[in-house]
Amino acid sequence: MKTRILGLVALAAVIAATAVALFVVPPDQNQGDAQRIMYPHVASAWLAYLSFGVTALAGIGWLWKRDLRLDAVAHSAAEIGVMFTAFAIWGGMMWGRPVWGVFWQWEDPRLTTTALLLALYVGYLLLRRLSDDPERRATRAAIVGVIAAVDIPIVHFSVEWWRGLHQTATIGSPDRVLNPAAPMVFVGSLLGMLGAFTLAWLYLMIRRYQLARAEAAREEARRMDRIMTARTVEAAR
Amino acid sequence: MSDAGFVIAAYAVIVGGLGVYTLALWRRLRAVRGPDDEAR
Amino acid sequence: MNALRRDASVALAVARKDAIAELRGRHATVSTLFFAGIVLLLFGFALGPDADRLAAAAPGLLWLAVVFAGILAVSRLHLLETDDGALEHLALYPVSRQAIYAGKAIGGFAVMLLIAVLVLVAVGILFAVDVLGAWPALLATAVLGAAGVAAVGTFYAGITVRLRAREVMLPLLMLPVLAPLLLGAVKATAAALAGDPFGELGAWLQLLVAFDVIMIVAGAATYGYLLEDG
Repeated sequence: MKTRILGLVALAAVIAATAVALFVVPPDQNQGDAQRIMYPHVASAWLAYLSFGVTALAGIGWLWKRDLRLDAVAHSAAEIGVMFTAFAIWGGMMWGRPVWGVFWQWEDPRLTTTALLLALYVGYLLLRRLSDDPERRATRAAIVGVIAAVDIPIVHFSVEWWRGLHQTATIGSPDRVLNPAAPMVFVGSLLGMLGAFTLAWLYLMIRRYQLARAEAAREEARRMDRIMTARTVEAAR
Repeated sequence: MSDAGFVIAAYAVIVGGLGVYTLALWRRLRAVRGPDDEAR
Repeated sequence: MNALRRDASVALAVARKDAIAELRGRHATVSTLFFAGIVLLLFGFALGPDADRLAAAAPGLLWLAVVFAGILAVSRLHLLETDDGALEHLALYPVSRQAIYAGKAIGGFAVMLLIAVLVLVAVGILFAVDVLGAWPALLATAVLGAAGVAAVGTFYAGITVRLRAREVMLPLLMLPVLAPLLLGAVKATAAALAGDPFGELGAWLQLLVAFDVIMIVAGAATYGYLLEDG
């Protein structure tokens, strides 16, 4: 019941924040209407990073406490994180074309890092699908999740250098909106979008976690079933 | 494509994608739990 | 101090066991080297025959060939263990997991270094790059790059070795993780070959050192869990 209320609030917040970002905020002086893409783009990127942080921490928690509920949290966060990563990349490309003139800017460290992020966590989800035993799956996934999280800062750092050491200028950076000099309307709209998306994230996390637990329970029931059938066959002999 | 076209494409995929994922999640939950559960 | 010495001897024993198995059977090295050679040849076809373009692309081709070959090598090295449940036996010994990881990684490192050096020579010959002129910097890059591939490869091979689709999953999981290593190694090689005109070689080598240290620590910390129930 409480989760349902959270879902309704999140839905209203996302609709409101989208309306504000599309129709209320004036277009940016330099970037024009394309600037409007930044609000959901930055919000998606933030939730992608948050999700993968949760995946790594829950993975460590599983290795430490060996509680399968933590593994369910890690799995849920990874799946939702992959979705938000894809959104962030899509938003970045749709923003890049009108502002930079290209969909893909290799010199932008964020875009390149995000693409690798997607590859890392799609691999994580695929690995989960290929493992049958719940505990083995949890351990393998936890290790991959931790390594991926450790890898992200190195990736970002190296890509930053890759460009930085050559002193090539990037034309306009995506989250210029966060610049303190930006007028309050822009900042307010961005914060509104961040809040709305975070609420939606929380709701989806709860539902995805419930799904993961229900699936685990069904998996377990099936396994018990198989064992019981095997025993009955044994006894009948 | 004009700037507005890119803005629409971005919002359609991101906000629409959120909606599609939520609906898919509900369906998956109902499939696992059975219809009489408080799924939503 | 005593524990450390014991760990070191365990690690060396594991590495030596792998080395002997490798020397007797030559499972990984020869086929992997052959594979790296074919990759280089195909890169030549894909980008040639313009010699200048090939020379400019040489650092990237070199490290792509090394990384691709590395995936094959670590996968072969781990496959040996699972054929007869050797890894399970290894896990039963009352020795520290870090030592076993270190041993496997050292074995992998030796193979990777051999591959990196030989591919470097091959690139020098095929793409007309002056490899000998900058050999100290190139050797340092090769050592650091080989260590990184071995450190990452050892535990990723451990994760995937018992999967049904390991041939696909190992590169799929490993390649994105190795991206910063690839970037650093290619940049360091290019800087070394160009005589380091912008003084950036040191920075890239530092990046490689940081990558290696972080991945070795992460691998040593998690390999034990993998042996228990991975």
